[in-house]
Amino acid sequence: MARIELNGIQKRWGEVWGVRDVNIDIADEEFLVLLGPSGCGKTTTMRMIAGLEEPTEGDIVMDGETMNDIDPRDRDVAMVFQGYALYPNMTIYENIRFPLRMRGVPRAEHDAHVRRAAGLVEMADYLDRKPSALSGGQRQRAALARAIVRQPQVFLMDEPLSNLDAKLRQAMRVQIKHIQRELKITTVYVTHDQIEAMTLADRIVIMQSGLIQQIGTPDEIYNDPANTFVANFIGSPPMNLIEGEVSGGVFTAPGVKVPGMPAHVSGKVTLGVRPEDCHVTEGDIDLTGEVYGVEPTGDVTYLTLQAGEKLFEIKADRTYRAPLGATENVRFDAERIFLFDGETGERLRRE
Amino acid sequence: MASQRRKRGENLIIRYLILGAWALFCLMPVLWFLSIGLRPRVEIITPQPIYWPTFSLDAWHMIWEDWPMAKYLRNSILAIFGSVLIDLVLGIPAAYSLARYQYRGRDDIAFYILSTRMMAPAIVAIPIFFLFRNAGLLDTIWALMLIYAAINLSFVTWIIRSYMLDIPKELEDAARTDGASDLRILWEIIIPAILPGIITASVIAMIFAINEFLFTLLIASTPNAYTMSVALANFTGGSDGVIYNAIALVAFLAFVPVFLVVVAIQKHLSRGLTMGAVKGG
Ligand SMILES: Nc1ncnc2c1ncn2[C@@H]1O[C@H](COP(=O)(O)OP(=O)(O)O)[C@@H](O)[C@H]1O
Ligand SMILES: [Mg+2]
Repeated sequence: MARIELNGIQKRWGEVWGVRDVNIDIADEEFLVLLGPSGCGKTTTMRMIAGLEEPTEGDIVMDGETMNDIDPRDRDVAMVFQGYALYPNMTIYENIRFPLRMRGVPRAEHDAHVRRAAGLVEMADYLDRKPSALSGGQRQRAALARAIVRQPQVFLMDEPLSNLDAKLRQAMRVQIKHIQRELKITTVYVTHDQIEAMTLADRIVIMQSGLIQQIGTPDEIYNDPANTFVANFIGSPPMNLIEGEVSGGVFTAPGVKVPGMPAHVSGKVTLGVRPEDCHVTEGDIDLTGEVYGVEPTGDVTYLTLQAGEKLFEIKADRTYRAPLGATENVRFDAERIFLFDGETGERLRRE
Repeated sequence: MASQRRKRGENLIIRYLILGAWALFCLMPVLWFLSIGLRPRVEIITPQPIYWPTFSLDAWHMIWEDWPMAKYLRNSILAIFGSVLIDLVLGIPAAYSLARYQYRGRDDIAFYILSTRMMAPAIVAIPIFFLFRNAGLLDTIWALMLIYAAINLSFVTWIIRSYMLDIPKELEDAARTDGASDLRILWEIIIPAILPGIITASVIAMIFAINEFLFTLLIASTPNAYTMSVALANFTGGSDGVIYNAIALVAFLAFVPVFLVVVAIQKHLSRGLTMGAVKGG
């Protein structure tokens, strides 16, 4: 039961910027994901919500109360740290119990709480172990159990899955989302993995260099990117971004010629089109290139075409095959073409 | 295969022989002490070589019956343990503050603390004497406790601090968001995590304290405050001349407990020593 507002947050250490300007309004029970490359200020933002760092400028408001000067232990938040931060001298049981002891939960209730939390993350069999006797995945789950053992107002999770292998990561992802839905606790989740962000989030906040690039649902971020950074960061393989020129309603770049551009657009423009919106064709042609690589994966075949200096990614049919060097023609889905300002990278929307 | 395995075995034997010889070489003075301590006094001072030494407990009886050795031992133990306790009670919070809080002059303070080790102790002997005389603490083990603690406090603080710097900051952040106060974090998270460092610092402080002579002699003027190290000096003067076998035996007795403690914790100790040495700054 917590709504969090970050109003004009900045964080600076001398000349070093952690966060430049962050404004987010996090709804009660929302699962919000902070996504961005390493060093963009995700952890710093999260630590400010936890109270471990004080903002240089701006206010952090929880349920209408300004929290800037409130100590971490007087904020009702639980955090999962990137490095797990399990207490090495305590057993897993004692680790999970620690927040209950510190927050003055009556002793008689401890055991039930610890076992319930451990059960939720399937760690009930490891309660007697020390953290050093656990695998990475088990430690991760123990850290999660410690966060969910008492019902805090807010969950903060800082790249909790980054040290796990791909398979475990997927399993834990589903588990985390399920637990959050069940407990209905406002959650801020940090990651640099776009798949994690897309699958977990109610809304995604994309950050770069301490600035928010876009806030939106996964669908909005994917289908309506605000600029080339967002367009390139989300999607795998990433969106094809083609730098070219628009004149007389026609976009041209080496090997590329796309008619039907909006009347108000002209000059230097970056055209974006996702690999799945490109189709190998014999008919109307937008792109002509030579086959650079063909990668069958089973359910889809990735085709890389070269036109001029540039490589284009295309998601082709799973049966698609072609020899290297062959010439292929490609058509773009007209409604799925994005245009960005050639200088600023900002989206140019159709009127 | 077989010859290779034998070669490896031979290597191992040679290694043990060399290490064994080195250990024997290092322990030689100790064994020699023991052998002197357990022989009659005449045999020790005779100029003739002795091939078959006589075993005797003369010195053993003498130190316990003719001298208040039990009292010296008690004084040593109380003064030493008391001083280590004082060092830990003061040094752990000081180290925590120096390792974790941001305040002006913190690094300077850390250096001042260490710099107290850099002067020759004799420089402060006379002021200390007057200080304790005015406080009415001359010839008491309380004074010894305070002096030993003061001598050791700087490096106890320094060693513990270097261990604390090694603890990931995230661990404390986690405890803080879990609702722990600073003192709780120190007590429940930091201290257990740096226990090896605390043990190392305590043992080194103990060894310094056992061997401390100058200030003990200054403060102690009667058996009231004599310790083992000063007691040793008592056997060198007086009407009986130098009583070598008693000296040797007392020295050996002072050595054994330290030796046993060091053997018991040597794993922690070697780590602690190198850490303190390499890190520091
Ligand atoms: N305590 C600090 N002192 C100085 N600079 C810091 C500190 N913490 C983070 N930074 C800097 O702030 C920027 C953002 O860091 P961080 O929030 O950890 O990024 P992310 O979690 O997105 O990878 C980085 O450039 C980092 O070097
Ligand atoms: Mg980070």
